[in-house]
Amino acid sequence: MKILVAIKQVPERDAQVHINSAGKWIDEADMQWGLNESDAYALEEALQLKEKHGGEVVVVSAGPERVGSTIREGLAKGADRGIHIDCDPGQLDALGVAQLLAAAIKSESPDLTLTGLQSDDLGYGQTGVIVAELMNLPHASLILHVEKTEQGLTVKRELEEGWFQTVELPLPAVLTIQSGGNKLRYATLMGIKKAKTKEVRRLNATELGATAAPVVTLERIAIPQKQRSTQILSGSPKEAAAALAEKLKFEARVL
Amino acid sequence: MSGVWVVLEERGEKISRISWEAVAAAQKIGAQLNLPVGAVLPGAQTEALAAEAATKGVAKVLRIEHALLGTYTADAFTIALEQFVQKERPDYLIFPHSYQVRDYVPALAARTGQVLIGDVTAIADGPTFVRQLMQGRLSGTYRRAGGGTCFVSVQSGAFRADPVAAGAAAIEVFAPTIDAASIHTKPGEPFRGSAQTVDLGSAQFIVSVGRGIKEAENLPLVQELAAALGAELAASRPICDNGWLPIERQVGSSGQTVAPKLYLAVGISGAIQHLVGMKGSQCVVAINKDADAPIFEVADYGIVGDLFEVVPALTEAIRAAKQ
Amino acid sequence: MISSFPVLVEPQHFDIAEKLVFAALVVGSGALFGLRFAPILKKILASKKDPDFRLFPLGRRVWDFVWEVMFQAKVIRQRPLPGLAHAFVFWGFCAFALVTLNHCAVGLDIGFLDPQGWFGRFYSYLAAAFAVACAVSIAGLFVRRFLVRPRWLGEKLSWESGFIALLIFLLMATYLAAFAVPEASPTSRVLWWAHTLCLLVFLPIIPHTKHLHLVLSPVTVFLSRGTFSSIPPLKGDEDFGLVAGTDLTQIVSLQSYSCVECGRCTEHCPAANTGKVLNPKEIVLGLRSYLNELGPSSTEPLLGKYNSQEAVFQCTTCGACEFQCPVGIEHLPILIGLRRGAVNTGEWDNEYGAKLFLALERGSNALGMSATERDKFVQKLELPIFDGSQEYCLWLGCMGGYDPKGREIIADFVRVMRHLGTSFGVVRKEKCTGDPVRRLGNDLVFQQLAEANLETMAQNKVKKIVSICPHCVRTIQEDWKEYGTPPAIEHHSEFLARHLNQLPRIQGQEKIVFHDPCYLGRYRDVYDEPRAVVAAAGDLVEAPRHRERSFCCGAGGGLAFLGEESGERVSAVRAEELAATGATTVGTACPFCNTMLRDAFASKGSGAPQLLDIAQLTARALPTVTDPTHN
Repeated sequence: MKILVAIKQVPERDAQVHINSAGKWIDEADMQWGLNESDAYALEEALQLKEKHGGEVVVVSAGPERVGSTIREGLAKGADRGIHIDCDPGQLDALGVAQLLAAAIKSESPDLTLTGLQSDDLGYGQTGVIVAELMNLPHASLILHVEKTEQGLTVKRELEEGWFQTVELPLPAVLTIQSGGNKLRYATLMGIKKAKTKEVRRLNATELGATAAPVVTLERIAIPQKQRSTQILSGSPKEAAAALAEKLKFEARVL
Repeated sequence: MSGVWVVLEERGEKISRISWEAVAAAQKIGAQLNLPVGAVLPGAQTEALAAEAATKGVAKVLRIEHALLGTYTADAFTIALEQFVQKERPDYLIFPHSYQVRDYVPALAARTGQVLIGDVTAIADGPTFVRQLMQGRLSGTYRRAGGGTCFVSVQSGAFRADPVAAGAAAIEVFAPTIDAASIHTKPGEPFRGSAQTVDLGSAQFIVSVGRGIKEAENLPLVQELAAALGAELAASRPICDNGWLPIERQVGSSGQTVAPKLYLAVGISGAIQHLVGMKGSQCVVAINKDADAPIFEVADYGIVGDLFEVVPALTEAIRAAKQ
Repeated sequence: MISSFPVLVEPQHFDIAEKLVFAALVVGSGALFGLRFAPILKKILASKKDPDFRLFPLGRRVWDFVWEVMFQAKVIRQRPLPGLAHAFVFWGFCAFALVTLNHCAVGLDIGFLDPQGWFGRFYSYLAAAFAVACAVSIAGLFVRRFLVRPRWLGEKLSWESGFIALLIFLLMATYLAAFAVPEASPTSRVLWWAHTLCLLVFLPIIPHTKHLHLVLSPVTVFLSRGTFSSIPPLKGDEDFGLVAGTDLTQIVSLQSYSCVECGRCTEHCPAANTGKVLNPKEIVLGLRSYLNELGPSSTEPLLGKYNSQEAVFQCTTCGACEFQCPVGIEHLPILIGLRRGAVNTGEWDNEYGAKLFLALERGSNALGMSATERDKFVQKLELPIFDGSQEYCLWLGCMGGYDPKGREIIADFVRVMRHLGTSFGVVRKEKCTGDPVRRLGNDLVFQQLAEANLETMAQNKVKKIVSICPHCVRTIQEDWKEYGTPPAIEHHSEFLARHLNQLPRIQGQEKIVFHDPCYLGRYRDVYDEPRAVVAAAGDLVEAPRHRERSFCCGAGGGLAFLGEESGERVSAVRAEELAATGATTVGTACPFCNTMLRDAFASKGSGAPQLLDIAQLTARALPTVTDPTHN
């Protein structure tokens, strides 16, 4: 089975973020980057499918030069090849990025395309579904488990509030993978050394066909006012308990 | 009719709460731009639901009715809604940001050359749409750049459903053309997560108990609270070490890592070994006698007091709030 | 007068037949020894060269040789009575070198020591004195091995040891008996032959028994890496640690064959003492079996049949084994080498381990917390940011930055530094030093962390670091060297001890027992400084196992992050021992020890002693000021 995994490079979870002078995005100088979490799970799923059924895993990522290190990370974890689409994703909306990815993936005609459910930075959660639409392939989202069958795939899809559902779909197909379905493997020294010799194909945006002008734009970003701080509820045990129930229901909205 | 349309979703033979929140958001845009608000109800045999929707202060209710819409598939919903968009050409099409919407609306928007502005938490003049970035560390303000229908989905709980106005709208039916062969996926019946063992990892609510409980005999106190919340019971290491609760209920570095919507820590001081196991919780509540207990550092809400008094009171209050 | 003392009687005039038989036996015995020893030597020499081996400087090697081999210092120090017995056997052997040479020469009628001459007479008495000591000692050791039977010698009785002991005893007895027989008597000839046969039987037994250490351990001690827990750098693109036979270096092979199976390592190992699979002696013997059966060019994995992965990952790297070993075996590079082999190739599949590695691949700390939590703490305590103008960079570490108890230690240490007027600052981009991944054998993540931290240190022009964590201190000072030049660093016990005369003391008789952290004691040789600090705060008492022989808390080697242990908890055993001293307070000098013991005391319930870091003990005597942590 040939599996394409679309991965994204995002700021490290721990990185300190500052808003850039234009107020439209974060300051990328001095930023540390890493592989998007749910994409790591998508890659893990692909590697496990390959270990079970054989075939090839190819990682594809769109972005500037720095994205190369994340593609290498994917190769180090066990992907066989990489494709780097050179572009500035800041100039594109979800549709624009998906158009580039779909064009690159089409040229590989994979049996299965996987990607993470959503990115840790922009969090659109749309790229995989749009790629399926553009490639005219069936898709399923929020997938925790993938099984290959005679007819195609049986996948476990997460629904809300602790419910799940199995979905059958034919191949080729596109799946967006939810975090936590598998245990991630750690990167190894041996993997990194092997990755050095693996092929990374570079494509540029014009080769893949021009994309439409963005239909949605991010005007400005801000740091939200509300910071997490502890509210101590005082009063008698009864009063405090009542106040807490009220807060849980209407402020935290968890009840 | 162009204007603002809301797509309603069925959940358990009723219209879901978050759909009414989407209606509230749509009404906000409608009022801002002076546009009528209509509701769309895709499905099969949705008469009763439509009748309910018609009382909620919308100008029109449109049932998108087809046998193949009875069970959700991304293919059928995308085809049906695309035909609706072509027919009605809405200015704004508002969705609740549910798992179902996440599954097909990005494709639907792409099919019409649009991009969904998803998971919106606020709508400002313009209109502009605010959504979270960087996992809530930043917020971003979005605006549509081109023409055509603007697709928006709103986050659960971001808009209060109570102000939805009352009214009596006309109900119309639209029958899309859907070819069964164009549906590629075969969805199965929903099922609950495995119930045979304790699965703290996927629990939505957890009540966790620590040394403050003093004796094993006092455990029923927190068990009752857990029952009132519909929560799983968990514990810190000393409780499991003493054999008061089985080891698979231990949260922390040598036990389970959990990330529930609500984590209620009772009589837990909050040693690092415990904190690393529950730091991903959405909302943390701590009840502890010691105001200096480190657990308060990570808590959103805290009650400093004797758990033997606070917990029974809280059990009562939760029961009352849930009614 | 002198003639009234007995004289060693040697037989004279061997006929040609006797000489031929003797010569043939010597050649036979020597050949048998050679035949059995040559394959071992070949395996050692065929092993991979140690890439980092340097013979020079010789001074340290000569000193180790004299101290550990000639003086038997380690043997005696760690087990005084059997150690002394062993030393007498060893010294007896040394004294006998000349005697044995002469003994053989006598058989060829070319004896060079005249038993009547002054030197011959003196030397035969000297050797006799050693022979008595040696005979008594070997008899004592025999009784110990076969009647007392200490646990760490293993459950199986070694009959070959008994036989060897008998041979040694006979060697001495036949020598001593020769003082009591009449000149030129047939008995003297019988004794001579008996002595000779003992010698010639002994020689070929050496290579296939633990008595190989007679030949190898002096070499092993001389060639050892010398510094404690010295982890060799990986060289080239194919070196991932100890994966297969081809990765065994000459030093590792030499050490494997040197093991004398005395079990000192097992006796002191926290894992072996709490019911784990790990037994450091068996690790070394496992490598020996591997070499015997598969050899150093085998590509079979080292972990499997001969050593288990489970055992290797139960090591707390406390180093008690390596510290005690009398024959120069360096267990830590071996254990960590085997871990490197398993982790660097991805063979080790462990949920907690993977979680730790992923947390450090991505984030800044071993606890997987968000770095903003550390920032909040730094702000709350109003810690200055290091800008190059301050004297010290205060290294918070994962525990000091995120653990509530570690933060209390930092807060108190900061109070002390502020009281002293010491200037310090913290760096914003501090990451985990890499200690747990280093000890668990993840070279990839360790390198990333060491390089990132070294860069931060260079950017901020840090010259001097102080840290509350012995693990951070060790890793920064020694392990980072592989990737650059780390700043100078000291542990807060050293800082506090140096400033004790400027700090107020507590007048009181509170009994405080000090728990030696492995990474401060055995790894850094710091024992007196924390004790001085404790003594200034109360009445210092010692636990039964202390200083060099302190017992681990169970946290080291990354084990603090690996979930629940099998068997008894190391921390519980140590906590019990500390509580049994009757001290009301346990003084610690390591946040990991602190957290492990805290857990152990917590499940013990009420009546447990309180647990305070030495910084907290010191800060108690300071005049009270508003503490920003309790705003």
